[in-house]
Amino acid sequence: MKNKKKLVKFILTVITVVLFLLTTFPFVIVVINSAKASLEIMTDPTSLPVRWTQLFENIKEIWTSPSIKYSKSVFSSVIITTLSLLSISVFSAMAAWVLVRRKTRSSTVIFLIFISGLIIPFQVVMFPLVSLFRMINETVGLQMLRTYHGMIFAYIGFGAPLAVFMFHGFIKSIPLELEEAALIDGCSKPQIFFKIIMPILKPIFVTISILNAIWIWNDFLLPSLILGVGQDIQTIPLAISAFAGSFVKKWDLIMTAVLMAAAPIIVGFIIGQKHIIKGMVSGSIK
Amino acid sequence: MANVKIDGINKIYPNGFHAVKEVNLEIADKEFMIFVGPSGCGKTTTLRMIAGLEDISSGEMYIGDQKVNDVSPKDRNIAMVFQNYALYPHMSVYDNMAFGLKLSKTPKAEINERIERAAKILDIDGLLKRKPKQLSGGQRQRVALGRAIVRKPEVFLMDEPLSNLDAKLRVQMRAELIKLHKELETTFIYVTHDQTEAMTMGTRICVMNGGEVQQVADPRTIYNAPANMFVAGFIGAPQMNFFDGLVTDNKNLKVGDQVFLLTDELAKSVEAKKMNNKPLVMGIRPEDIRSGQSNEGVEAIVEMTELLGSDLNVYFKIGEKQYIMKAEASSALKMGDVMYAVFDPNKLHLFDPESGSSLRY
Repeated sequence: MKNKKKLVKFILTVITVVLFLLTTFPFVIVVINSAKASLEIMTDPTSLPVRWTQLFENIKEIWTSPSIKYSKSVFSSVIITTLSLLSISVFSAMAAWVLVRRKTRSSTVIFLIFISGLIIPFQVVMFPLVSLFRMINETVGLQMLRTYHGMIFAYIGFGAPLAVFMFHGFIKSIPLELEEAALIDGCSKPQIFFKIIMPILKPIFVTISILNAIWIWNDFLLPSLILGVGQDIQTIPLAISAFAGSFVKKWDLIMTAVLMAAAPIIVGFIIGQKHIIKGMVSGSIK
Repeated sequence: MANVKIDGINKIYPNGFHAVKEVNLEIADKEFMIFVGPSGCGKTTTLRMIAGLEDISSGEMYIGDQKVNDVSPKDRNIAMVFQNYALYPHMSVYDNMAFGLKLSKTPKAEINERIERAAKILDIDGLLKRKPKQLSGGQRQRVALGRAIVRKPEVFLMDEPLSNLDAKLRVQMRAELIKLHKELETTFIYVTHDQTEAMTMGTRICVMNGGEVQQVADPRTIYNAPANMFVAGFIGAPQMNFFDGLVTDNKNLKVGDQVFLLTDELAKSVEAKKMNNKPLVMGIRPEDIRSGQSNEGVEAIVEMTELLGSDLNVYFKIGEKQYIMKAEASSALKMGDVMYAVFDPNKLHLFDPESGSSLRY
């Protein structure tokens, strides 16, 4: 009996280790190869780099290359990610709060529509979305494609369902009496939201922000449709894709650029992972 | 000065549920009024209507001289203590208490002074920097009270504030609330389903059932002269026993084989209500029954006993029906014994079986 338990434990440990190696392998390859020159990658992609200082040379080249405009793409990515995150979390929290507290049939229907947004695959709506954006331009005259606001608007739409769902679950667990106490204390509705509800929702805000930050920061497909590759506004993934032309693939620069792009998200995740787990649990179980 | 006047208040929910029916009530200034009743009787809804958290379907409500039907909760000059305390979890005790004052732009020095005073009264001055989750249930309860006190309201509303506390703490807080009421000299309106709280704390009790007020009176009257069978059964533990009976000659009450001579007061009310020779219900409290000799009382069989330390609850059967009496803890009665139940004729209550109301009123 005891031996059997030990065996099971051993097998589980082996599986865990294998899974760990499998998932970290691509990342390790990126780290190793980001400090190599192009030729070195071709000849020996798995060995440790000869000189780690090559990393800084690669970074310098990416940062200064006039054809890539990497620094400008960092700026665009930061703008798009921060504004999208802010809008998604604040608007979704507001929407979820109203949907939880107003127990009417219409709020149930609206909530279900939000949920259905979670089920519909992105690929199904991506082309209609582009034509819709084009139509908005033609009918109203508001340019949506290749603009910051068009991009952020699309992210709010795709990010809101999960955010509303998670906020909804959490707000349900906040006792109504808290809001009533605030009402008696003299709060207006907006004050109740910003002074009472928002601070309580902090763990969910962190969770939503990190989940969406990872997705928006890394996203390639949606920006490629809305901003277009090689256009004026480029996010980092779009800019990196320019390293891989049809004829030349600058693997050294791609690897370094990927590492540079991933670094802030990884740091953010490590800082916020405690909150992610807390947010996930409190949103689902309570 | 804040008396509360409730004039023909109704609460009908959109789904048609009539939660509060034509409630008329005047709560005097500085009174400790208790709303008591079983769950769903409308007591909390009434309290919430006084607070302004629930719309009034019809009728009028006054706090002081002001009609408050359409006045928002913050302008009613009330404070409410909730069952789950409703402390803001992200704020310290100090901020919880200061929140309302800050919103009303009270000067900082005054906020500090009021909080210090309230904290001293409630003995929470050492906890001001803590967050609610670092407090015990009793401490949270005090903070919730403190948050109400610092606002210097004209009316305190409390919705079952002690029901989340353990039994010992509840008794202690009960005494402190009574003390607090004396100290603050403010109108208290207190909702509970616990009849001990109702009896011990209130200057007057309003017993409610099914959305209607059953009786409003001081605790002694509620206990000794309940207005109807509901009040008689609800207040008092264990609850009052009811027997079917018949009065003849306006003074002889026949219950089973027993005949009791009614007191003058009861005899008069039977005559006034024209209940002679009509079936009625006799009520008697468990402590007004004793076990006597075979020639004194009705033969009964002991079904079960409950020792409470100071007394012994004896459940006995007469015929098919079960009744209860309170005996001395030293009593030797045990299951299966034959006993003779003797009723104190001076402590009888008579009710009209159709309306349920007492013949006294």
